[in-house]
Amino acid sequence: MVFGRLVNWIRNFFRLRQDISLGIYGCTNVGKTTLANRICMDWTGEEMGKVSRIPHETRLVQKKEKVLIESNGKKININILDMPGIATKVDYRKFLKYKIKKRAAKKRAREATKGVVEAIKWLNHVDTVLAVMDATKDPLTQVNITLLGNLEAKGIPVILVANKVDLRRAKPQNIKEAFPQYPLVEISALRGKNINNLYEAVIKHSRKAK
Amino acid sequence: MKKSKMKLKIDFVSSVALDSKTGQKRINFILNKVKDGSILVVNGVLTPDEEMDLIRETMRRVDDGFPGIEVCSLKKQVKGWGQFLATLGNGREKLSSSIWAGITGNPPKTKLKTGITLIGPAKIIKNIKKNPDSFSVLAEM
Repeated sequence: MVFGRLVNWIRNFFRLRQDISLGIYGCTNVGKTTLANRICMDWTGEEMGKVSRIPHETRLVQKKEKVLIESNGKKININILDMPGIATKVDYRKFLKYKIKKRAAKKRAREATKGVVEAIKWLNHVDTVLAVMDATKDPLTQVNITLLGNLEAKGIPVILVANKVDLRRAKPQNIKEAFPQYPLVEISALRGKNINNLYEAVIKHSRKAK
Repeated sequence: MKKSKMKLKIDFVSSVALDSKTGQKRINFILNKVKDGSILVVNGVLTPDEEMDLIRETMRRVDDGFPGIEVCSLKKQVKGWGQFLATLGNGREKLSSSIWAGITGNPPKTKLKTGITLIGPAKIIKNIKKNPDSFSVLAEM
């Protein structure tokens, strides 16, 4: 951990790397792919992945390289990594409710578990993390707590993203109260609300803006 | 009609029992018990790395009969100088266990932190409501 931090610091200090890997992490169905699509559409004009209301739609790590983002005259090149949602359980029976056939549901569950393992592996290869949370739900889940604790131990900068603030029942203040030590941006990835605040935060907290 | 009896097994495990196990053995111990249908209550908390390893290993073991786990932990909150000293202590402990592991060739042992952890099969535990200093569990057989 200490050695990893030292290497990161040396890289940052000498600017040995031109771009940063921005990992989009969080539980399932919090809007990670919607956010990745929003960022990609804003800066490249292309979408990144398919969005669905069925959990575990993203089961493989999606990458978009060299996306140049700009805010307040500062620029940064990012490699966006849209991660499968992290979960402690994957039950194929849940997918049957969405009218998916049993065989397909089991296949989806198998792929989903591999996706979670893959997302965890990638924690060692990201420079900055957007920890996305659904502002309409309770943020004090064990997945969020474990994810943030892990990133803190690795010394990786984290920006909390309170997503879905366009919905009436959204309570982003709950996220602020639960994790007051992290910078928080309140957005609606779907509507693009406050998205510029997110770009500003990414440039500010990634420490590599030119 | 005869009513079938539903049984729920709860294992209370002392931190000493887990302190004596190294990383992977600790995770295996927990998951073997949970996969057998037990709810485990431990008087200690895993490190963030171990918690992530637990999730990863759980995902590898998920099958039709075992959809995964529900887990919840309460850590002792330390702030200010206490937090600084705890960080120093953690660093010292990690360094000494790494050196010991290097000499003996065995994986390093880390002690559980102060707190309480509940881990159970997702099939039984339907919901965990967590607050900063408490949590309640809803189990259904």
